[in-house]
Amino acid sequence: MKSTVVIGILGNQLDRGGGERWKRWRPTIDLGRHEDFLIERLELLHNASDGALATQVRQDMLQVSPETTVNLHPIPWNDPWDFEEVYGSLHDFARSYKFDTAREDYLVHITTGTHVAQICLFLLSESRHFPARLLQATPPKRRNRSEPGTLVQIDLDLSRYDKLASRFREEQSASYSVLKSGIATKNQAFNAMIEQIERVALRSTEAVLLMGPTGAGKSQLARRIYDLRRSRELVKGDFVAVNCATLKGASAMSTLFGHVKGAYTGATKDRPGLMRAAHKGVLFLDEIGELGLDEQAMLLRAVEDGVFHPVGADSVAKSDFQLLAGTNRDLRDSVRRGEFREDLYARINLWTFTLPGLADRREDIEPNLDYELGKWTKKTGHAVAFNQEARRDFLAFATNPKSPWHGNFRDLNAAMTRMATMAPGGRINRDVVSEELARLRRAWATSTPTSNAEQVLTAVLGESETSKLDRFDRVQLADAIVACRTCKTLSAAGRLLFSESRKKKAKPNDADRLRKYLARFGLDWEHVQ
Amino acid sequence: MSEELHIDGSEGEGGGQILRTSFALAAHLGRPLRVSKIRAGRPKPGLRRQHLTCVRAVAELCDGTLHGDEIDSSEVFFEPGTVKSGEYHFSVGTAGSACLVFQTVLWPLLFAEGDSRVVFEGGTHNPFAPPFDFIERAFLPIIKRMGAKVSLSLERAGFMPAGGGRFVAEIEGGCTLRPTDLCEAKPIVSRRATALVANLPGTIAIRELREVRNLLHWKNEECLPRVTQDDGGPGNVLLLEVAREDVSEIASVIGIRSLPAEDVAAIGAKAINKYLSDNVPVGACLADQLVVPFALAGGGSYTTTAPSEHTTTNIDVVGRFCAIEITQTVQGNATTMSFASL
Repeated sequence: MKSTVVIGILGNQLDRGGGERWKRWRPTIDLGRHEDFLIERLELLHNASDGALATQVRQDMLQVSPETTVNLHPIPWNDPWDFEEVYGSLHDFARSYKFDTAREDYLVHITTGTHVAQICLFLLSESRHFPARLLQATPPKRRNRSEPGTLVQIDLDLSRYDKLASRFREEQSASYSVLKSGIATKNQAFNAMIEQIERVALRSTEAVLLMGPTGAGKSQLARRIYDLRRSRELVKGDFVAVNCATLKGASAMSTLFGHVKGAYTGATKDRPGLMRAAHKGVLFLDEIGELGLDEQAMLLRAVEDGVFHPVGADSVAKSDFQLLAGTNRDLRDSVRRGEFREDLYARINLWTFTLPGLADRREDIEPNLDYELGKWTKKTGHAVAFNQEARRDFLAFATNPKSPWHGNFRDLNAAMTRMATMAPGGRINRDVVSEELARLRRAWATSTPTSNAEQVLTAVLGESETSKLDRFDRVQLADAIVACRTCKTLSAAGRLLFSESRKKKAKPNDADRLRKYLARFGLDWEHVQ
Repeated sequence: MSEELHIDGSEGEGGGQILRTSFALAAHLGRPLRVSKIRAGRPKPGLRRQHLTCVRAVAELCDGTLHGDEIDSSEVFFEPGTVKSGEYHFSVGTAGSACLVFQTVLWPLLFAEGDSRVVFEGGTHNPFAPPFDFIERAFLPIIKRMGAKVSLSLERAGFMPAGGGRFVAEIEGGCTLRPTDLCEAKPIVSRRATALVANLPGTIAIRELREVRNLLHWKNEECLPRVTQDDGGPGNVLLLEVAREDVSEIASVIGIRSLPAEDVAAIGAKAINKYLSDNVPVGACLADQLVVPFALAGGGSYTTTAPSEHTTTNIDVVGRFCAIEITQTVQGNATTMSFASL
């Protein structure tokens, strides 16, 4: 068993001496008078001016508790009611004290000392500077005044209290529900991620990066994170969201950071910008990878220092905002290509969560379906429901691994909207479902190849560069890149890509051909790997 | 090494007595001991500080090994070594009874080789424990007559809650106890009422003794106030002593704050009157304290009233350690305990 060490402050009133002292309850002395509580060591802090009293308390303590060693620690307090002074000295004591938690069990006695000292002891125990439980003594009842009263040990680790723990679990599941829009999702990976996000959202004000394919629900989740923080009073301002892909060109800077009147032609009045609109709130920058380098530089400063320059302004503006960012591509590639600032990436990559696509969480299709139905009903005022068979048909298709759900929740939402619109008399029957399934199949059949090529290219070139390519080049380049990835060397890739034409050449230089082809798009072997 | 003895601590009186007696005998006889279910039936079961002090003191005397000697522990294992006489100092916390510690460590030291000088600190006049005066003037004369060479001197009385009492025991080792008989209630040869008052108004002593004279019609010179003033804690005890030729009885009442001095006297008078009307030589408290020495002497007998739970507990524990037969003969309200070696 660990031995018990009590750290306490001498009460210069409650522990006071004199001839009558044994007839009174003295909290510090009476700690030593309990038959079922044995103190190995008492670390007694006292004001340096109370030295005589401290010595007497030590003597009396040794009399009632010869098993206890008493160490006196005089502290020269000028004003024991001065928070800063008392906290500082107790903090110093805690820092310099050699705690041996493997062998000793620490209790901080908070019955004596000024209220300020008690508050400081509480704070230092809660922050684990004192790795201790609190010890509170109460005086004996009047009828047995010679008894030592009662002791209560308070553990500030709230997880140790069963009733409180279940209370917290309820509160937490309410938070999860907020983040999940009240949808009873079943996917374990998704639910585990939500639990992590809940903790981060409530404990951190650092930037959060949400990754995941288009339509996976990044914007909705960002909004939900804001709602959760707002509900706990962690943010006071607004939720401001913008898709950076829409911030192309000259107006991007002023949209984000604002401008002053006369900054440029057409700037007829001051514009605060989104950054200032998000003051004390949350700014969600979706598709952050699309942000221009100038805007990235300004954003970095705003994130790090909370200041930025509105266009045309001489002085800096301030905004205290929490940043959420979304992206559907791997920003590391963008960093490698010099399209995204490494320092900004490091700054927003602290908390990164990847939202799985709908295809990876098919068990959540059904609860999402019900959620969308409910939303439709609420929006239109007309109740819409599935026939039993129709519902079975749709779910069988939806959860089939062959259904790719390229557009993720956007696809599901669109399918839901179409079916609800077409439902005769508010009933979605098998005909409506089969029409919708055909529509989805067609959409995915045409989107699949291009979207694959698109994905390959945007990953390597970025969205803006890809959009400048002809369809003709996209297919060819995407296939070349895919081929390169299956090969170990440039030469091997060349041989694979030019396997027919090289037969006709006396000196085939496939590697050089491929290098030149890639160079046309500003790419080299390293890029495509 | 002899076989380990297992004692169920919840039996009989089920408190500290069973623990003290078995530890004293285990150390004296070199017998490994396991006491389980310590104070199992009590509101707060398990070892308390006063018991810890006691078992650790015994272990210290003989360099014994202890396991489970912790607060709240329900089982203690003790493997005694050889008892060493010498200088010892035992302090009892929470102003607990130092007299009980004396009565525990006495037995191993009494039979060890060499003399010992032991300082005891803590409470000397506690409720639920024999006060120092009882040990000195009722218990000690009997065992001295049996052959023990022990002297006690009180330096300072200690009361709840402050404690701080102190007395010294000089114990001559290598003792052989001889049986003795205390079966006849011989005439009373002296009476004495002592009102001890420490750091409280002396009028308490005056009032207590006045009431003693009222109730018992004792003479003025038989009533002694002892009032002390020092830096220690407050306390009051009334001691009513009647001495026969060969044995004494002392009734003691600890004065507490809510109890008027006259009531203290009344409680004491009632107790001493009961002893007198019982007309037995050995009072109830002394009866349980004499079980161990009579058993170790391997003979002798004494007459008392119906044995208390403490007494029967001691008889049971002693029976586990010693080859002794204790016969109880009841005659009216008197019981005679006869000890015989097997």
